[in-house]
Amino acid sequence: GLILLFYLVFYGFLAALFTFTMWVMLQTLSSDIPKYRDRISSPGLMISPKPDTALEFYFNKSDAQSYAEYVSTLRKFLESYDDSKQSQNINCTPGRIFDQNDVAVKKACRFNLSELGQCSGKEDKTFGYSKGTPCVLVKMNRIIGLKPEGEPHIQCTSKEEGMVEINYFPPEGLIDLMYFPYYGKSLHAHYLQPLVAVQLAINSNSTKEEIAIECKILGSPNLKNEDDRDKFLGRIAFKVQMTE
Amino acid sequence: GLSSARAAEILARDGPNSLTPPKATPEIVKFLKQLVGGFSILLWIGAVFSWISFGIQLAQGAESAFDNLYLGVVLALVVILTGIFAYYQEAKSTNIMASFSKMIPQQALVIRDAEKKELPADQLVVGDVVEIKGGDRIPADIRLIFTQGCKVDNSSLTGESEPQSRSCDFTHENPLETRNIAFYSTTCVEGTATGIVINTGDRTIIGRIASLASGVGNEKTPIAIEIEHFVYLVAGVAISIGVLFFIISVSMRYKILDSIIFLIGIIVANVPEGLLATVTVSLSLTAKRMAKKNCLVKNLEAVETLGSTSIICSDKTGTLTQNRMTVAHLWFDNQIYSADTSEDQTTQPFDQSSPSWTALSKIVTLCNRAEFRPGQENLPIMKRVVVGDASETALLKFAEVILGDVMNIRARNKKVAEIPFNSTNKFQLSIHETDDPNDKRFLLVMKGAPERILERCSTIMINGKEEPLDSEKAEAFQTAYMELGGMGERVLGFCHLYLPENEFPDTYPFDTDSMNFPTSNLCFVGLLSMIDPPRSTVPDAVSKCRSAGIKVIMVTGDHPITAKAIAKSVGIISATSETVEDIAKRLNIPVEQVNRREATAAVVNGMELKDMSLQQLDEILCNHSEIVFARTSPQQKLIIVEGCQRQGAVVAVTGDGVNDSPALKKADIGIAMGIAGSDAAKNAADMVLLDDNFASIVTGVEEGRLIFDNLKKTIAYTLTKNIAELCPFLIYIIASIPMPIGTITILFIDLGTDIIPSVALAYEKAESDIMNRRPRNKRKDRLVNEQLAVYSYLQIGIMQSVGAFVTYFTVYAEQGFLPSTLLGVRVDWENNAINDFEDSYGQEWTKYQRTYLQWTGYTAFFVSITIQQVADLIIRKTRRNSIFQQGLFRNKVIWVGIFSQIGIALILTYGLGHVTALNFTPLRFQYWFVAVPFAILIWVYDEVRKLFIRRYPGSWWDKNMYY
Repeated sequence: GLILLFYLVFYGFLAALFTFTMWVMLQTLSSDIPKYRDRISSPGLMISPKPDTALEFYFNKSDAQSYAEYVSTLRKFLESYDDSKQSQNINCTPGRIFDQNDVAVKKACRFNLSELGQCSGKEDKTFGYSKGTPCVLVKMNRIIGLKPEGEPHIQCTSKEEGMVEINYFPPEGLIDLMYFPYYGKSLHAHYLQPLVAVQLAINSNSTKEEIAIECKILGSPNLKNEDDRDKFLGRIAFKVQMTE
Repeated sequence: GLSSARAAEILARDGPNSLTPPKATPEIVKFLKQLVGGFSILLWIGAVFSWISFGIQLAQGAESAFDNLYLGVVLALVVILTGIFAYYQEAKSTNIMASFSKMIPQQALVIRDAEKKELPADQLVVGDVVEIKGGDRIPADIRLIFTQGCKVDNSSLTGESEPQSRSCDFTHENPLETRNIAFYSTTCVEGTATGIVINTGDRTIIGRIASLASGVGNEKTPIAIEIEHFVYLVAGVAISIGVLFFIISVSMRYKILDSIIFLIGIIVANVPEGLLATVTVSLSLTAKRMAKKNCLVKNLEAVETLGSTSIICSDKTGTLTQNRMTVAHLWFDNQIYSADTSEDQTTQPFDQSSPSWTALSKIVTLCNRAEFRPGQENLPIMKRVVVGDASETALLKFAEVILGDVMNIRARNKKVAEIPFNSTNKFQLSIHETDDPNDKRFLLVMKGAPERILERCSTIMINGKEEPLDSEKAEAFQTAYMELGGMGERVLGFCHLYLPENEFPDTYPFDTDSMNFPTSNLCFVGLLSMIDPPRSTVPDAVSKCRSAGIKVIMVTGDHPITAKAIAKSVGIISATSETVEDIAKRLNIPVEQVNRREATAAVVNGMELKDMSLQQLDEILCNHSEIVFARTSPQQKLIIVEGCQRQGAVVAVTGDGVNDSPALKKADIGIAMGIAGSDAAKNAADMVLLDDNFASIVTGVEEGRLIFDNLKKTIAYTLTKNIAELCPFLIYIIASIPMPIGTITILFIDLGTDIIPSVALAYEKAESDIMNRRPRNKRKDRLVNEQLAVYSYLQIGIMQSVGAFVTYFTVYAEQGFLPSTLLGVRVDWENNAINDFEDSYGQEWTKYQRTYLQWTGYTAFFVSITIQQVADLIIRKTRRNSIFQQGLFRNKVIWVGIFSQIGIALILTYGLGHVTALNFTPLRFQYWFVAVPFAILIWVYDEVRKLFIRRYPGSWWDKNMYY
């Protein structure tokens, strides 16, 4: 009996101590910005839609069912970019870092879906999947305070020559500097990260073949894309196989 | 003799004349035993599981598959390396002993092909004719066909300490009793003899005893039992937690493969991989320390056995005593004087002014054939080598101490005639010229058995004057003689006579055969008594044993009176206690009427022991606290040891003879004498006493007790962090947070930072006088008891876990993952395809960035455990006393441990932080201090625990918190 009571008190004390020290520790943190960001000095790249099984797209352009999931994922992803959701966002000056350090309420820059051209889903509800020109959206991971230098843009290459023709929206896969820096979830609630749509016009001879594509971020000296260990730092590789 | 050809034939038939060494376990078996002993089985299971999951994952094409391969390899390496280490340690301590068994090849003088030849003794065959002379070891069992004054020392075989004379006569049916057989491995003390070899090698009497010894089973040492108990306990905890969480994780719908990987982690976290190696090192450190104090330990585990010893059965001669006759008492002028018998006497304090003493000293000096070997002038008198028998040596040294240069005195008093001692006369006589140039008389001096000497006297010297020897004076002599004899001393009488000058002029031809001089009506001068005195350190050692609750039993082949006298003088029988016989004498009633329970002491004669039943022996061992066994044959020693073991005692036995080897083997710890001991005894023993001194055993006991206490501390220290290693796995499984600590990291704690500190605890001084408490109870005082496990696991271990988790959460929170975000993220966190994992601030992380953060978490967790282990190390210095009573800086090795611990952690974190395979990353400096408050809390809490234990002995707190 006494033993149980002892451990109850003992563990109760430890739990209280744990809670208290955690509380103290949390008090030292800002709710806006993490204390350290040195573990993510350079952003990773990611694509949408993201297939369940690794990063491999398999679909039949004549079978709507085979790409339905990709399409719905894209649609859902782009919902937040809908004009109606961007009413509070402002139009910023393109090509320049949008510094708002002195402003209490951080504004978000508008990202017009129309910039994604044929991949915006407005004209082609299937994002090109039905025509053999599937779209993949490339995005750069959000990192608080990151200010890219130079003219960052996405460039994708296919290992196999001549199998696929790649188009970018916005043109040249440009990522505009006006979307940076990011101020974090709480300060920058309406922030939308810039997207680059990559349209893969697959050569009709190359159907049924697996096409490996690698996209990289280029043109910016402070965005890494060659890390040995991190295969997603400033780059992403995926495969596409289309049948008819 | 034999022809060489015939000898070769017999040699081929019988084999060489040497004892077959006891069957040794093959080295490879010893090594394999190390590989499967202890926790190794658990780790092998872990390794096999790792390889299985590697196989499965490889088949599935998972990227992380190789991690499991490496983990398996690392686990296997850990087992093999610790196995090699333990094997090496064991082998090293065995090697010390191996040097003992290497005997100088013995030579024998054999007649072969009618020629005398020197041959190695192992070439002897039955039928060879060998010659031996004084000083030789008998090369085989031989029947003597020619002897000349031959005496052999059979003490190693029968325990008789007196040399036995040997002749060609067949005197007894029993080969051990008959005079015409000399035994293998005994020594010829003096004289020469020729004999025919009748038995060689294992067929000799010694060979038969040796094989009897190897038949006596070797029992597990107490510490081996304790360690086994501990291994079962920890393995039990590991397996039950492992299986429990395997079931939990399976029912939480984790994949079987994942559950197996968790199981491996739990096993690795639970098993203190480095501990058994640490225990071995601690034991060998103690063994080294004991070797310095003249206890050479053959078997590492015996170090602790000595500490738990509750009964010591000790030899008398050489162990308790100095093994040399020394003059203890004198009687002249109707008065008994005692002499100094210590080892390094330089003067004698008794009153030397009486002229009687001058006369007595002259007889002692002159009537003596013993001489110092030349060239020892610089040695202390007591250390000089003397040619002559034991009593004469004693008298010579006694005289030399008091009078100075004896040889010079003898030269000045030239000897003109001499009759050496023989057993019919029982006296020794010599006639000298005096050193007084004016005194032309001859001086006749005589010594011998007191009653025989007295018979030859008509006067007695009192204060330098000759007085008639009347009945009153004779009575006084009898009283003194009885008194000295009753002290177990060998008494000699001394008398002299100045031969009248007119009857015996200068040129008188003394003839010792016709005895043309008076040998009666002499003048009695005094008595001297001698004893083999106790070593001066022994009484103190015995009283230490007594206060340490160890019963000391003397087992000797000597006469009961001598045995009892020595037992009394060293305190084995204390001054106030009485034997049954003493009580009977005091109350003047027959022995049978004495209440046996009133007698605390007992002197048991070997003859009585022979007729005793086991129950009677048990009764004696049980009822008397002070026991002396006298006149025992070495075989009876075994019976006594077994009797003590039946009482549940841990028995230490000392012995030197070959015939002691069964008892040495049977004992929980056999202690052989390094100087006087035979090789067979050293082989059978677990420990060798280099100086043959009983007091060394006591220091050994102290070291043994200390190491038991310190091992407790080491184990408590080591077990604690196992919980801090285990909790991460359990919480990882239940709360699905990112893995807080890696399996490899755990191995770095167990086999890296923790090793030196846990060894350092072996250097801790005793908390209180460990020689003032009773020997530990084999059944109750376990090495790892419930309190130790509970306190380490459920209290300090949990505190450490809390501290480490605070650091872990701090690292993640400061990088952007608040604790609330971490719960339940495991599946996505570990998904290789998710490279935009969002943190609490909206930032996105790639898989590698997360993994790197996870390693930082490992490092932080590791550093926190290390920091708190420093506190754990400090609190483990004592179990009851405050650290401040013990002294924080007294054990310098602890500080070496602490610095090594922190140093290794610094190297791993900052030096090897870039080696991916090790899963360490450089860590912000402030994270080293997150756990410091918890470390301080651990210290304070433990001080409070100890304070309450000291304040309220016997209370609930004491019972539950003292380990």
